[in-house]
Amino acid sequence: MRQINGDSSNRAVLQYKIKNELIADLTHRFSLYGYQEVHSPTFEDYDMYASIRKTVNKDDMIKVIDRTGKVLVLRPDGTIPITRLTATDPGIDDSEQRLFYVFNVYRAAENGEKETTQAGVELFGNKRPEADAEVISLAVETLKGIGFENFTIEIGHAGFFKELIGKADLAADDLQQLKELIQTKNIVEIEPFLEKLPLSAELQNALQTIPLLYGAPKTVLEETKSIIRNENMQQIFNNMMHVMDVLEDYGVLGNITLNLGLINHMDYYTDVIFQGFVENIGKPVLMGGRYDDLAEHFGKRMPAIGFAYEVDFLLEAMKRHQLTATNPIQAPLALHYSEERRRDAFAAAEMLRQRGYPVVTMLTDEQKEKSGIWMSENRNLFSYGKTKSFHTFEDLMELVDETFGGG
Amino acid sequence: MAKLTIAVAKGRPAKRTIDMFEQANIHFIDFHEKSRKLVFYNADRSIRMLFVKAVDVPTYVERGAADIGIVGKDNILESRADVYELLDLGIGKCKFSVAGFPDFTINPNETLIVATKYPNVAEKHFALKSQPIETVKLNGSVELAPLIGLADCIVDIVETGNTLKENGLTVLEDIESISTRLIVNKASFATKAKEVERFINQLKRALE
Repeated sequence: MRQINGDSSNRAVLQYKIKNELIADLTHRFSLYGYQEVHSPTFEDYDMYASIRKTVNKDDMIKVIDRTGKVLVLRPDGTIPITRLTATDPGIDDSEQRLFYVFNVYRAAENGEKETTQAGVELFGNKRPEADAEVISLAVETLKGIGFENFTIEIGHAGFFKELIGKADLAADDLQQLKELIQTKNIVEIEPFLEKLPLSAELQNALQTIPLLYGAPKTVLEETKSIIRNENMQQIFNNMMHVMDVLEDYGVLGNITLNLGLINHMDYYTDVIFQGFVENIGKPVLMGGRYDDLAEHFGKRMPAIGFAYEVDFLLEAMKRHQLTATNPIQAPLALHYSEERRRDAFAAAEMLRQRGYPVVTMLTDEQKEKSGIWMSENRNLFSYGKTKSFHTFEDLMELVDETFGGG
Repeated sequence: MAKLTIAVAKGRPAKRTIDMFEQANIHFIDFHEKSRKLVFYNADRSIRMLFVKAVDVPTYVERGAADIGIVGKDNILESRADVYELLDLGIGKCKFSVAGFPDFTINPNETLIVATKYPNVAEKHFALKSQPIETVKLNGSVELAPLIGLADCIVDIVETGNTLKENGLTVLEDIESISTRLIVNKASFATKAKEVERFINQLKRALE
């Protein structure tokens, strides 16, 4: 569409334009990394979601009943449907799939139902640290591209804590409380709490250290060595080390913080987990991680890693960082006509549209507006910046081209 | 512009918090007890201090309106805010307790009616014991509730126990101890690591 002077004061139009520009920017960057867009239906099978434990809280799903009495949910997340589509496609063997999506998800929130837009990527079929690093560096690049100057991707590992606590026989309540203490880095209360539990001094010490394992990746990994207790933890450690090495070569290590006290924000994550913070915005704008077991619910072994932006929240963050500048919305050309020139006016409008100019035609008896094109019984007037009369359609096209860039 | 914003609970504990800041060499020069101002800056204006209602401090910090908050554990627990809790300032010590008439015993098979300013704390405590309860949310004079039959017992902060005694009530069980804590927004901890760390270390040294 060609650019025409004048702007719109319609706020809904302006807001949607800003959102669309952000989505276009994100999807452009996703596709530059070779990710391709997929979509999934809004209605999903409730039983499918209910059978995958510990993902979306059942009470938070918005349910609908169809004519046959079957219960459906409004898609509460993006990752599960995309995993289902990919795992059940008979054409996809073990090949790598790089996919992205932008769609709305629906959850019941404290103050009524909530519809939010998510934009995310998923990389299937690659278990290597290079895949983890690719996805994380894509998160960094998109945040940079949007224009945030001070932001951090916090990386943790879903398996590290699990391995550490593995053999300790803790009651569910105690485990929950321990997780909370670690996630809130409550160093004050963790020590007396651990002393009450039947744990070895060595394990107690390791658990107390976890909340402190936070900061620059290489330093934190060095500190982590001291609490490795078994072969699995050593493997996780080696894997994290490898991911950091690759991220260093991507040149994004400066935006990475390691946080081994980041335990889990979605229970289907199996390995690396991460979230993105921007300065002065209280909650993460993106979340992601590796979820190698999820596809098994759809009968396939398929490693996977991905992340998603909460687009509406990201927009809020951009507003607060004054990053939502957009070009004013361009108003279409206004072609005013008197009744007897209607046919001519429509023909002229059609010619303009064919040249790519948006045109609105309107029946106008007298010249009230300052700018526009007028076609009436006794005159043809072009008035945008300069005012000139014209005789033929060709003259009009020439005037419009001259004024609005044309050609 | 200030690099760090600290939300401090208004009221009684504020003075002691400010004293602690003084000891830590963080001076809010225009602060004095009678001031009605709600925003103060330190000498080089790198730190902004907000005075807000105690119950609101966790909200300010969780949403990132303040990077750091100084507030009682009671308000942190009740708000269930998703924040880091990094220091115990060791002031404002008291405890959460269940209180009622001395001869009252809790029947595990009946729904217990609990009057409290802290419904979340009460629910969490009794859920752990599998005791069914119904909470009655009150905003003050909670001790009155059992006296006039509004509730079976109360969950409240107990300091000396004098108010309970004067109303014929007694502590039935303790829930947990409370003191003033330093909480930090998770994003600030990630994006302003240096500033946050420096502030905390300064306070820590003063506490030692």
